[in-house]
Amino acid sequence: MTTLPGVRAARTASPDRPRSHRGPRTGEARWALLFLGPTLIGLALLSAGPILATLGISLTSWDMLTPPQFVGLDNYAQLLGDGRFLTALRNTFFYTAVSVPLGLVLALGLAMAVNQQIRGISWIRTMYFLPLVTSATAVALVWLWIYSPTGILNHALGVFGVSPQRWVADPTLAMPSIIAMSIWQGLPVNVIIFLAGLQAIPSEYYDAVSVDGAGRYGRFRYITVPLLTPSIFFTGVLALIGAFQVFDQIYVMANPGKPGGATITLVYFIYESGFRNFHMGLASAAAWILFLIVAVFTILYFRTQNRWVHYK
Amino acid sequence: MSASVASTPIHHAPAGRRTRRRAWRLLRKTALYIALVAGGVAMMIPFLWMLSTSLKTRAEVFSSAPFSFPTGLHWENYSTMWFALPDVTFGTFFQNSLVIASLATIGQLVTCSMAAYAFAVLDFPGKRILFALILATLIIPFQVVLVPNFVLYRSIPWPFSDSGNWIGTNLPLWVWAFFGGAFGTFLLRQFFLAIPIDLADAARVDGANPWQIFRHIYLPLARPALATVAIFQFMWSWNDLLDPLIYLRDLSSYTTTVGLAFFQGEYVGNWPVMMAGALVSLLPMIILFLVAQRYFVRGITISGLKG
Repeated sequence: MTTLPGVRAARTASPDRPRSHRGPRTGEARWALLFLGPTLIGLALLSAGPILATLGISLTSWDMLTPPQFVGLDNYAQLLGDGRFLTALRNTFFYTAVSVPLGLVLALGLAMAVNQQIRGISWIRTMYFLPLVTSATAVALVWLWIYSPTGILNHALGVFGVSPQRWVADPTLAMPSIIAMSIWQGLPVNVIIFLAGLQAIPSEYYDAVSVDGAGRYGRFRYITVPLLTPSIFFTGVLALIGAFQVFDQIYVMANPGKPGGATITLVYFIYESGFRNFHMGLASAAAWILFLIVAVFTILYFRTQNRWVHYK
Repeated sequence: MSASVASTPIHHAPAGRRTRRRAWRLLRKTALYIALVAGGVAMMIPFLWMLSTSLKTRAEVFSSAPFSFPTGLHWENYSTMWFALPDVTFGTFFQNSLVIASLATIGQLVTCSMAAYAFAVLDFPGKRILFALILATLIIPFQVVLVPNFVLYRSIPWPFSDSGNWIGTNLPLWVWAFFGGAFGTFLLRQFFLAIPIDLADAARVDGANPWQIFRHIYLPLARPALATVAIFQFMWSWNDLLDPLIYLRDLSSYTTTVGLAFFQGEYVGNWPVMMAGALVSLLPMIILFLVAQRYFVRGITISGLKG
């Protein structure tokens, strides 16, 4: 091989490419600014900047008609004494605590069920994946009918002698009913991620533990679960963040004055106080609390990563 | 010893056992199919019930058993639904959704691909920090910035709306898309990183500037990834409820989701007509999914596994 010694020396000297010597790439920072221009403006005006703005507005009393007045932490104090806000907070936590783990477990089971190499499997999977593209609005409407006193659920349970329930109107049943619907709608995303994870597990691993005498459970426990932990971790993040933001189904199901606010969530509260009652300060305080909750839980969740997620 | 092995009946008498084993395997496979299809049908019950209800009369819905087939196909529920609201048809909602979702999709494709190219190919100071910042916005609930964004859009003068600003127009629902986005940027960057850098290097030696390399090498190669980003953005815009609810004021500017939610308030208890509305509103996305399922699946797995 007749490589020019100088070229090779330059390569080894600067592993992260020509950055060090002035070559044709010197103007790249300017090009980068051009390519990133829209993104930088968006970051400043539409996401990062507004987070700080939310904090600022949350310290004011503002109806958008008269100028905002600085009130310090009054909005936060008011929220802590506001029964409706506390209900929203409790519902949001309940929704998250139930829907996330249950959704993941069901999705894992379903992913293993449809992880088959048989003819027509893609058609079968389509049936399971279909809820993926549905709007929560339309889905909530359909489930409102499923849950209605004369709906299919009461009919089906009637076969087993269960008396008709008011699934959405009964304050104790309302939240679990909404959760069941949301899990149904959220399953496909998790199943797809798990399925990809399952298919990435080399079959030799299973062969190896089978030789060691592992049965069905052993293979699941010692191969499937550990190798799937990155997927489980990722779906967990998505589900966690999504669950704290639940709104659409709440809007549709709680809207026609159903049980006196029994099912409102944090985002519904933000929408209501900001865009129906025009208490922008209060809405911003609630939004900032939502942000803190999501941030804290996400960070805590990432902290647990080292303990149970195995990256290959 | 070898003789005794040869004389064992394994090679000679398996006919019965083999058919039995084959029958067993067939049985297992059939059971598997039945279980999987039954599960799939169970998953689709809401769709099936939506469809069957939408073809029944109101009287039928309340009197007959839920699993019964409609006595006749009452397609008139669909025309009732379509023309249910005064002055506007569901077609208007469709058109509004289509315009907003298309513009948002174009915006995301252009600006996310540009940002992704900068992160994947170009060298500039602060690259890692900036990318981390953009990823961080993925976990920020967008509702947190709802109020400041509303204030921002309200402060932009606009002579063509009743409010004199962007409130009441569809601008807040798609203009943001021309200012980057975390999901698209992340997904396209992953894709761009997989393209051999030698291609760009060779083009650079030939005198191509970064824009030309982006435009003529990276974009054409990234078509499948662009399709994925497009499909997801289109779906999100189509299905969004909160933003249209906040910014749209006239019935004639409503999107399909807001129209449907409004419709629900007007037609309480008229399940056949409401199910017809829900079904029609879902149809475009269902068709898109059936046509482009692999792009949906790919989008989810790319962002899920290589993260």
